[in-house]
Amino acid sequence: MLRFLARRIGYLALMLGGLVLVTFVISNVTPADPAALAAGPDATPAMVATMRQEYGLDRPLPEQFARYVGDLLQGRLGRSIQTGNAVTEDLLRYVPASLQLVLLAMGFACAVGIPLGVLSAVRRHSLFDHAVRVLAVSGVALPAFWIALLLQLVLAVWAGWLPTGGQLSIAADPPPVLTGMVLLDSLLAGQWGTAGDAAAHAVLPAFVLSLPCLASVLRVNRAEMIEVLGSDHVTAARAHGVAPRRVVGLLALKNAMLPTLAIIGLRFGWMLGSTVLVETVFDWPGLGLYAVNAAIAADFKPVMGVTLTIGLLFMLANLLVDLAYGWLDPRTRGA
Amino acid sequence: MSDAALPALSRRARFRAEHAGTLRGARFFVWTFSRSPSALLGLALVLAFLLLAAIGPWIVPYPEDARGAVNLGRRLLPPSAAHWFGTDEMGNDILTRVVVGTRTSFWIGLTITGLAALVGVPLGVAAGYFGGRIRTAIMRVTDVFLAVPGLVLALAIVASLGPGILHGVLALTLVWWPGYVRLIEAKALTLRGESYVEAARTMGASHGWILARHILPNCVSPIVVKASMDMGMAILAAASLGFIGLGAKSPAPEWGAMISVGRGYMPDWWWYPAAPGLFIFLTVLGFNLFGDGLRDTLDPRSNRG
Amino acid sequence: MDRRSFLSGAVAAVAASSLDPAYGFEREGSRRILVFSGNQPVPILDPHQRYDWSTRMMQRCLYDALVRYEGTPARIIPWLAERWETSADGLRWTFHLTDKARFHDGTPLDAEAVRFSFERGLRLNKGISWMLSRHLKPENVEAMDARTVRFTLERAYPDFLAFLPLWFVVNPKQVLANQEGDDHGQKWLTNAEAGSGPFRIRRWDGQGVMALEAVPDYWKGWPMAEPDRPAGVIYRVVREAAPRKAALQRGEVDVAANLTPDDIEGLERMPAMEVANVPGAAPFAIMMNTQKGPTADLNLRKAIAHAFDYEALLTIHKGQARLMDGPFPVVTADRVALDMPRRNPDLAKAYMAKTAAPEGGFELEYLHVAGLEVQRQIGLVLLAALQPLGIRVNVVAQPWPTLVGRGASPETAAAMTAVYVTPVTTSPDTVASQYASSAAGQFWGIHHLRDAEIDRMVEEAAVELDAPKRAALYAAIQRRVVDLQPVIFCMTANQQWAMRNYVKGFAAQPLNLTGEVDLFPLYAARA
Repeated sequence: MLRFLARRIGYLALMLGGLVLVTFVISNVTPADPAALAAGPDATPAMVATMRQEYGLDRPLPEQFARYVGDLLQGRLGRSIQTGNAVTEDLLRYVPASLQLVLLAMGFACAVGIPLGVLSAVRRHSLFDHAVRVLAVSGVALPAFWIALLLQLVLAVWAGWLPTGGQLSIAADPPPVLTGMVLLDSLLAGQWGTAGDAAAHAVLPAFVLSLPCLASVLRVNRAEMIEVLGSDHVTAARAHGVAPRRVVGLLALKNAMLPTLAIIGLRFGWMLGSTVLVETVFDWPGLGLYAVNAAIAADFKPVMGVTLTIGLLFMLANLLVDLAYGWLDPRTRGA
Repeated sequence: MSDAALPALSRRARFRAEHAGTLRGARFFVWTFSRSPSALLGLALVLAFLLLAAIGPWIVPYPEDARGAVNLGRRLLPPSAAHWFGTDEMGNDILTRVVVGTRTSFWIGLTITGLAALVGVPLGVAAGYFGGRIRTAIMRVTDVFLAVPGLVLALAIVASLGPGILHGVLALTLVWWPGYVRLIEAKALTLRGESYVEAARTMGASHGWILARHILPNCVSPIVVKASMDMGMAILAAASLGFIGLGAKSPAPEWGAMISVGRGYMPDWWWYPAAPGLFIFLTVLGFNLFGDGLRDTLDPRSNRG
Repeated sequence: MDRRSFLSGAVAAVAASSLDPAYGFEREGSRRILVFSGNQPVPILDPHQRYDWSTRMMQRCLYDALVRYEGTPARIIPWLAERWETSADGLRWTFHLTDKARFHDGTPLDAEAVRFSFERGLRLNKGISWMLSRHLKPENVEAMDARTVRFTLERAYPDFLAFLPLWFVVNPKQVLANQEGDDHGQKWLTNAEAGSGPFRIRRWDGQGVMALEAVPDYWKGWPMAEPDRPAGVIYRVVREAAPRKAALQRGEVDVAANLTPDDIEGLERMPAMEVANVPGAAPFAIMMNTQKGPTADLNLRKAIAHAFDYEALLTIHKGQARLMDGPFPVVTADRVALDMPRRNPDLAKAYMAKTAAPEGGFELEYLHVAGLEVQRQIGLVLLAALQPLGIRVNVVAQPWPTLVGRGASPETAAAMTAVYVTPVTTSPDTVASQYASSAAGQFWGIHHLRDAEIDRMVEEAAVELDAPKRAALYAAIQRRVVDLQPVIFCMTANQQWAMRNYVKGFAAQPLNLTGEVDLFPLYAARA
């Protein structure tokens, strides 16, 4: 098990290295002049030249790359022109907000997707089953930003049932910063009112984010259930008089866990990417909104910082899924 | 049986006889495909949008509205008989712009999918067929690109190059090609192990001949399935970039850009972003259903319910 | 876990979203806290490093200056300085300070603090420094005694007073105590304050929520009745217009800026809302590259100016704008009204015929600030207007720093760039200098006009002490600028804010930048 872990971590380090190279290449093909951007609009040509030297932009590329890697290893990701803060500082502030959304979305997708998928398989070919299948297909096809806008319009603006955006009402007392995730922090600090406020604000963005994952979880569980229900040992169990619910519960769910896990790992990355869209619509102060604002302002360091962070998070998630797989299914450990 | 005994057949009958196997396969394919209502729905949607893309600019009521006309006298009108989807902030008919935008979206989707396949398939075949160090190198590079969620990587590339449709297409192609590598690598690996391939090698066939004759033809169906589903997802990804504000420049009628501008007019003029979004949804839905149907027909063993 | 208060918190958030509160949200004790919302954050608060509308708005709450602008038309009133005199030759300005002013830490605000602040502003050479750096050296600001400051200018500059409201006074004690190395306290002042103004910082997040609390014993006193005085003021950044408008409608925000003309029109019809509509001072112009590219040809510039649909500008702003009737803004002293080009297709074609490509067939780039919807729409109007001439327009959106970067030299400047140039003072010299060669490299000089005659007249007028002679010189400059057509003179849009109807004390100030509001006199009327 340990060897498996060690191998996986080594692989992760290699991938991270590759990603660093890719982000370096990307930030160097830009037609804009990074020194001029960093110096700001009021800069004189002399100031721009100073900037260029300061950032080492006049050195040969391999040297710049070495410098870039060195900076990264020390946790220096540059400074954002827009916020004026160090990118690392901004990232630490925004990562928990995005994580909160993604975790809530994943939780919702599993809590709803697994039972619905199982039920749909049990009642195969019924109207319920068809409805669920339609949901499964739509969930992936729906443009996240479009459904976000529509839900915001109908539920928040017209009906007024939910807030239109942000993480907290301006009137709410912010909780002490423990994890950075506002909902969790206010629960841990016992600020129930704030927690309720935070929950109300998180409902719409988390729901929209969860849709494609929900769809995938639905399909996978339904497929697994169908296969399991048709298998030999289930038929045998039925023949022996074991109650159908026990059959479903014990055998099928256990089998469905592995593929569901794989789906979640895959969708985690997709969801992290979709924060770019959902956070924009709901003005949610997370990584996605940070990256979008920076991209539009041609502020590169934050965009690269977010790319690396999301890449790292995705790789870690995949690592966790791999480990879980290895633990649950020893056959995969040899791989 | 001597040659003289063969009856003189018409061209059509001879064609049928020579290609009997393929024709039977095609008929079976059509029959299987049409047994699935969702696949047929997908096909219908795809065909409808293809038609719109092809003849759209000629059937729209206000063609100059897609090219930057300014009619401030009729701006932000709600849906009516004259304007089925209402008008936008410059007074342009939204229906016209959405229909003309179909062509833009389709060539975006086609270009991304086509280029991604063009790059990814040869690499995948090389990796799967030749194995060894070539495979390791290719798969490692592929994995790096797959390490970041597509939209984020595309955002980074477009942020660097600058907004615009071409940059978006380039960025999304770079995001999409690894998928093809993975798919074809697995397939090529399996095929390489097949007995007829081994037999061909022992008989001295060159790699190129084996690739052309045995490997590539068998890769066609997974590529087609993936490509048809990718069309929808590529269009969605391009629209997402447009929504963020990194897509087409005004006044180009690109769906994502229209939603991005229309967003500023919510909630009072809510119909503005509703129409392009609906078109995106239906397009993606169509391609997804169609691709699903294709997969179920061409490769029923991958039972995904 | 107290399920009840969790639920009540959620319900409160939900209920609040549907309530239409008559009294608004925030309060402390019996006093209100007013919430203002705009789209622009405040990354650097330091008054000597940076200024833009959001930054200035906050700086005015936290700091004081020697004098202030008040009223419409804007006039200078004493503030930290009670009175002042100028020497006969216009070189020496002496200010006498009030003895009541105190910094937030209790230190009295004396002449040394004023001297320190001006020296800091000039030495840092950022932000507002350009306004005085040509005419004042840092060592020529002297504190004669505890309450007298003297400025000795390099040459006579009658407009000197017009710039002083923008130069804030910082507390030398705090700045020196918090500086790192020799950075003159720049890092610390980025998100802290060392001022004497009517507000103090309570909570500061320059990208999100900036909460200021009122200083009850502010040395100048408060303009409203004491029971009405707010407990504080909050500036909340909401980058998108739609959520900002929604927050205003639900009472989460009391005053909102940067709404589109369409939004304002909708809000005006609501009983709970009030719209402040103030004739703006910032002209919007489309600057054309006069040195390189097709627009270097005066005939083409004239053709474009006569093909443009000026009426569309008014429609886009829903009538809340004024077409420019002269190259100088309305607030500028010594401005004249002239015959400006208006839409005339025949005249446009005539000018076009004199250019190198009478049938058109080329493309011009129009650059505007990304995210500004009105500028984009104007670009589309331009595109439609130039189609009959056979000219294609490429509408490109870019972030402001990139746009300014491109405009810095004639080689890279676009054919047409959309720019608002706010006249921060009434000084005609500032505006006239925009058309002189010295303007190159700054965002107000993207047209890169090089005209020896204008340069000469600007130099002369700047130091001319005789009023009628000055007026004549500036009139001549304005006529020549219109003749040379370096820009398409568009309009001055009204500045508009929407606010809840219980907000009182709102005073229009024509020299405020874009969305800037003087938050000091605002208060909420009791229900």
